[in-house]
Amino acid sequence: MSKSQIMVIDDEKIVCDMSKLSLEQSGYEVETFLSAEPALERLKEKKFDIIVTDYKMKGLDGMDVLKTVKKLYPDTKVIMITAFANLETAIEALRSDVHDFFPKPVKIKELKASIERALHA
Amino acid sequence: MKVEHRIILSNFFNIIVLIIVIFFAIQNLNLVLTKLKFIQIADDLNASFLEIRLTEKNYFLYRNKMNLYDILNKIREIRYSIDNVRDDIIKAVGEDNFKILNKNLNDYTNVIALISEIEETKINNNQTETSIREAGKKLREFSEQITRLERTNTNELIMKSQKILLYSFWIIFLSSIVISHLISKKILLSLKLIQKLTLSISEGNFKTIENVDCDQECNSVIKAINFMSNELKNREEQLIQSKKLASIGVMTAGVAHELTNPLNNISMLAQTYIELYDNLSKDDRINFMSKVEAETDRMKEIVKNFLDFSKPKKPQLEQIDINTVIQKAIKLMQNMLYISNIETQLKLNENLPLTFIDRNQIQQVLVNLITNAVQAMTKNGKLIIVSDLDENKKYIKITITDTGKGIPPELLQHIFDPFFSTKGEGGTGLGLSVSHGIIKSHNGDITVKSEVGKGTTFTIRLPIYTKIEGSKTDE
Ligand SMILES: Nc1ncnc2c1ncn2[C@@H]1O[C@H](COP(=O)(O)OP(=O)(O)OP(=O)(O)O)[C@@H](O)[C@H]1O
Ligand SMILES: [Mg+2]
Repeated sequence: MSKSQIMVIDDEKIVCDMSKLSLEQSGYEVETFLSAEPALERLKEKKFDIIVTDYKMKGLDGMDVLKTVKKLYPDTKVIMITAFANLETAIEALRSDVHDFFPKPVKIKELKASIERALHA
Repeated sequence: MKVEHRIILSNFFNIIVLIIVIFFAIQNLNLVLTKLKFIQIADDLNASFLEIRLTEKNYFLYRNKMNLYDILNKIREIRYSIDNVRDDIIKAVGEDNFKILNKNLNDYTNVIALISEIEETKINNNQTETSIREAGKKLREFSEQITRLERTNTNELIMKSQKILLYSFWIIFLSSIVISHLISKKILLSLKLIQKLTLSISEGNFKTIENVDCDQECNSVIKAINFMSNELKNREEQLIQSKKLASIGVMTAGVAHELTNPLNNISMLAQTYIELYDNLSKDDRINFMSKVEAETDRMKEIVKNFLDFSKPKKPQLEQIDINTVIQKAIKLMQNMLYISNIETQLKLNENLPLTFIDRNQIQQVLVNLITNAVQAMTKNGKLIIVSDLDENKKYIKITITDTGKGIPPELLQHIFDPFFSTKGEGGTGLGLSVSHGIIKSHNGDITVKSEVGKGTTFTIRLPIYTKIEGSKTDE
């Protein structure tokens, strides 16, 4: 079985780097992007199984990523993380097609569990 | 000296002058009356003398001895009446003239008496006749002369009184004008001073005036106004501080977001570090920990800015480049702007002269205006902040433009009022009023232009630093 493809988008470089290290350790193939625009470009070329994206970013944000992804690959799961967690954003995210929603600081174990669930759903 | 005292003094002076004038006038009037009385007497005398001279002529015509008796009788009457008004006559013509009159009368009586004797002896003597005529003539001439003299004297006296009255009228008139001008000039000067002071206070510039040379009344008014001004200044400082605390409430959301990112970074670094510990080289581990350290520095910086803003500060003016203040305000607000999806555009003129301002207060003004701008915009708004030199080159101009909902024209005149807010629970209505107060106390001004549905521009103008300005505000 080939490795699951995971894309991580976050404007914090450490989030990208740590996710990549940890997820690769768990056997996934990971590509990271510091903003949504190049990530969406890449999506046109390659399908990912899971997309982990920051909700709040300069330029296009997590919601824009979600919309584009769902248009291109309806079965790709999107997991959202956000530094600015309030009730409104949580509700907005969960009402949409977001698979899961994590406020920062993120517990990597929980994130991995969520990814696992998403892959086997 | 009290104004009241001065007015009393000047009135007192005028009253004294008036009393002196009245005294002289009465004196003169008395003199005139005496003279008139004497003229009356002199006229009577003249009439009597005329009668005597007629009788005298009759005598020389008809040689009726009875005529001589008539004359002697008349003279006796005249003597009697002269003695009665002796004092009046002396008063009017003096002792010497009275003596001359008496002497003339005596001479005449003697001459008449002589003629009577000659008449007895029936000696007709031309010489006695001439001497009678001569004595009579002298008597009449003298009395006529005195009457004439007295008439001119009296006229002169009346004219003199007239002049005195006229002069004193002018003296009193002019002196009251001069005095009231002097008094009112000082009062007006003090009033002008007070007016200027209250005007500047009403514009939010809480100045005081020290050591003014003015009256006691004006001094106590100035003291009261100074006290009020100081009190207002204190209140304003308290208000600024409480508005600042309120702004902090609004800012915390942004700060929390800002802190969450480095916090998350540290957390993820730690989790990954533990997970990969065995696989990490020494260099890797050092690299991890340096990143942790850098993130804590980042947190420290955020907290520092925030704490720095919230701390109460003594008002303090300094020469400063306004752009650094704008940048600091933007830094404080950037997360709020970020969260609200607002694009910020800064157009700062790099070659601005320095301003002489309290940087914390001006920063707070900017925070207030940016907060308002953010609150007026829904998603995808645009905030433009421009710093430039004003057209007249005496001010630095900062404009803060938003693409928010705008302010209806009928509300424009109220937005700087304290506690005016359209935000209900969401606003205290102090932001603009505090900002207005701060800008005014910097001798600047703040204006607004707004179009409903399009956006709002606030313009702040602050005087550029000059040596004079510096020393003026230093005192
Ligand atoms: N940029 C703006 N766009 C639209 N309306 C504005 C803007 N700035 C101010 N206003 C209007 O002016 C009112 C007064 O503003 P001000 O900052 O004094 O008080 P506030 O924002 O309501 O409350 P506070 O600032 O104390 O939280 C606001 O309630 C709002 O109606
Ligand atoms: Mg406000």
